[in-house]
Amino acid sequence: MRSPLSKKLRGGWLGNPMFALAMVLAQACAADELLPPDKPVEEAIDHYLDVRLAKDGVTAAAQANDANLLRRTMLDLVGRIPTAAEAKAFVASTDPGKRVALVDRLMASPAYVRQQTAELDAILMRGTNQSLKEYLATSLEKNVPWDQMFREMVVGQEGDAEQKGAIKFVRSRAKDTDKLTTDAGVLFFGVNVSCAKCHDHPLVPTWTQEHYFGMKSFFSRTYDVGEFIGEKEYGIVNYKTVQGESKDSRLMFLTGEVLTEPESKEPDDNAKKEEKKKLEELKKGKQAPPAATYSRRARLVEIGLKEGTQPYFARAIVNQLWNRLMGRGMVMPLDQMHDQNVPSHPELLAWLARDMQTHKYDLRRLIRGIALSKAYSRTSEWDGSKERPSDELFAIAIVRPLTPWQYGTSLRVAVASPEYFSSDLKEDEFDNRVKQMEGAGRNIAGSLEYPGDDFQVSVDEALLFSNSDKVKNELLRDGKEMLSTKLTETKERREAMDTAIWNIYSRPPADEELQALEQFLHKHEDQPAQAWKQAIWAMLTSGECRFNY
Amino acid sequence: MQSEIRNPKSEIASRRMFLGAAAGLTFAADMTVLNALKSPVLANELKKNDKRVILLWLAGGASQLETFDPKPGRPTGGPFKAIQTSVPGVQICELLPKLADRIGKYTAIIRGVDTGNGDHGSAARMMHLGRRDEPSIKYPDLGAVIARELGKADSQVPDYVSFYTATEGRGNAISQSGFLGARYGAMFLTEGNSPPNLRRLEEITDLDHQERADLRKLLSDRFARSRQSASLSSHNEAYSRVRGLMASEKLFDLSQEPTPMRDKYGPTLFAEQCLIARRLVEAGVPFVKVSRAWWDSHGQNFETHLELATELDHVMSTLLDDLQERGLLDHTLVITLSEFGRTPQINASLGRDHFASAWSVTLSGCGIKRGSVHGKSDEAGNTVIEGKVGAAQIFATIFQALGIDHQKNYHVGSRPLPLTDPGTQPIREVLA
Repeated sequence: MRSPLSKKLRGGWLGNPMFALAMVLAQACAADELLPPDKPVEEAIDHYLDVRLAKDGVTAAAQANDANLLRRTMLDLVGRIPTAAEAKAFVASTDPGKRVALVDRLMASPAYVRQQTAELDAILMRGTNQSLKEYLATSLEKNVPWDQMFREMVVGQEGDAEQKGAIKFVRSRAKDTDKLTTDAGVLFFGVNVSCAKCHDHPLVPTWTQEHYFGMKSFFSRTYDVGEFIGEKEYGIVNYKTVQGESKDSRLMFLTGEVLTEPESKEPDDNAKKEEKKKLEELKKGKQAPPAATYSRRARLVEIGLKEGTQPYFARAIVNQLWNRLMGRGMVMPLDQMHDQNVPSHPELLAWLARDMQTHKYDLRRLIRGIALSKAYSRTSEWDGSKERPSDELFAIAIVRPLTPWQYGTSLRVAVASPEYFSSDLKEDEFDNRVKQMEGAGRNIAGSLEYPGDDFQVSVDEALLFSNSDKVKNELLRDGKEMLSTKLTETKERREAMDTAIWNIYSRPPADEELQALEQFLHKHEDQPAQAWKQAIWAMLTSGECRFNY
Repeated sequence: MQSEIRNPKSEIASRRMFLGAAAGLTFAADMTVLNALKSPVLANELKKNDKRVILLWLAGGASQLETFDPKPGRPTGGPFKAIQTSVPGVQICELLPKLADRIGKYTAIIRGVDTGNGDHGSAARMMHLGRRDEPSIKYPDLGAVIARELGKADSQVPDYVSFYTATEGRGNAISQSGFLGARYGAMFLTEGNSPPNLRRLEEITDLDHQERADLRKLLSDRFARSRQSASLSSHNEAYSRVRGLMASEKLFDLSQEPTPMRDKYGPTLFAEQCLIARRLVEAGVPFVKVSRAWWDSHGQNFETHLELATELDHVMSTLLDDLQERGLLDHTLVITLSEFGRTPQINASLGRDHFASAWSVTLSGCGIKRGSVHGKSDEAGNTVIEGKVGAAQIFATIFQALGIDHQKNYHVGSRPLPLTDPGTQPIREVLA
């Protein structure tokens, strides 16, 4: 059934054939006129964003200060706030190349792989209660191209008879083909076709039920047997149209392209019985079924990466990473990358997608480019004297909630005594300590919700931080490696306050907060240890610590 | 934005009432209206408009034959008789004598429920969401929608409390705020009758607890001053509710309830949790769910129902009387719901199996035409022969009874998502 909205849209400007034509032309022209491919990624980003700002007559916010930029960059690239020593050193450095050096150093560190693994795993495996971490960690460390990872996740890896690697992407969803179809469409192509399951897509006239079931057909022969999955070489998806007509679906990609296949025959009852018996045996023997000689899932990878259809795949990963680092995608929602949903910066998206394709789907290249752009390093503050530009212009940095992983680790780094992360430590030992913090941070992280679009903090989180033993024992306990003990033992109050602010907020203190802290500590000076714990609590739970700003 | 209005504390009560009344209207901070609401008479009137819900979740699938749709004398009828209710011509199972007396006063029975899903997991999800699960959209459950529609931004009590102490079926009885976000998630109690993290730790004094929260607010406000983000606001809002919620801990403490009242409800856990539910709605909690497990009587159906239906009869009757006496029933909707009913056929273990083709749901109190019966199953109870309804219509009816437009849209990205599936009609016959 079509909703009234869709009628309105189709009857209105979106449905206007002239408009559609104009759109196509605009995009085609844009493709011809894109900036040269050899431009550095960060320059292309700033060029296109600046063009739009100029067109809209908007002046972007100033660049963030060094401390702010360091915190943001570290949270994004290595998943934690800087230590006080790191923050002070970065702020103090007068090296004009320090930002580039920082990004390159962070991206070469083992913590980078851990952070990207955690974030990618959260996105790829949401709603499955399984993890791809092991696979992702190995792949990201080797910087395996994204198209190869896509192939491995959908078809499987060479030599993974146990099915413990990338194929878990499919295996964890094999019981629910609709979910598998939807998730694969969303995560790899930026397209959610599930609206077209029960009726033709209300907002995208070009997406029909045939598209949905066509996409489903790529996965419909996949089955699970015991702990393994296999793929049959026959089987057609049959569905009911809105008119009640029963229809066999063809193997059809999002673009409407229908794939030709080798003839497949439904086996007779005896053969089916035989097959069932074989599967039972495999299940008993805990063995994986043999690989199909003809795989529909492999066909999906093939067409997804084919010249001409490839932009879906390339644009989806660009938009996904852009969203992660910039706080919103150029196309929102992330799963609605269709031609009725115009990107905020179509040329930039096209340029970056082309760059992805021509650089072997190198995720690092795009991440580095974004992290070095001026757009990335703007302040998140707006003084209010002028109207605040809309978020889709990326004129001001967007305040982003930390992921559970980032917040968990950062809290632990924040409450560690500065000596614990002394600059005398050897690199290995330093990273070991960071790893310990990451491990310890998971306990609290496990109680937090992964932030999606329009994320709202739950009162459960506030209650957990306010009244739980967990938070008290993990963040506010005594100990020589703990910040609270260090502060209590610091004789000069001003010095202690400076230490606290550098440690937790990774920046120099501001007068106003010094006054507030001073007042609080003064009032509770009969119990300095308690006072410091409560002051630390107040800082840890403040918005500044909870968000990447 | 409701959260942006700042009032002195003394005004919070009247403001909450106002917001309750203004739910559904486009809200502007018009102080003249707010001042008018200071009048106690008007405020009281408005308070009555604050709607609430208590959902009694009969987990595992209560038998309609041993509760609200008996088939005495039939081969499938079982050993229990049907008894006359206070509504002429309407009979229910003799295991529910107290409710039989009260149907006419409080309750509508919906008999023609056909939900077509006899699998615990997905059926329970359906009866929580009012629709089938969809892979791409995480729908909020009834409690989360009610929390969103009837809760107040700055509420000092929880919006959604859910009791599920038994372990059987707990994983099915989802509490899911879905795309509405964790802000509307349930305070989910699986152990005991008091929610986690509501009580201040002994190591910190109440004064320190308050003062550190003040310091937190000061630091946070400084940070938020020049930044704009809905997530950031929700973070500060969540913390601003902590102290109020902690004060609501007493609501969960039954020792504050007079002994005669506790005796009235009885000593079972279900009874205690229903009494807490009454305390909660009285204090303004919009949605409370009390789960009672495990009705899944594949064997010994009649013993199981002798125990569980008898308990339900007593506790639900007490709850309805109590709400009525306090003047709360007119704005509190009490619902009984399961994932499905049970087969008319009695199996070899004297049990009844899963059955979703003709079962029953009840709605009592707020917005309900009391004593009404909708739908009819055939003589054996195998199919619905009149007034067939599914999950969506039941949900639409619930929303209508509470004055919520069941066709209202939420938006996820560009996609409009109506509270109930398009074209759904509420069951007018049971609405007041």
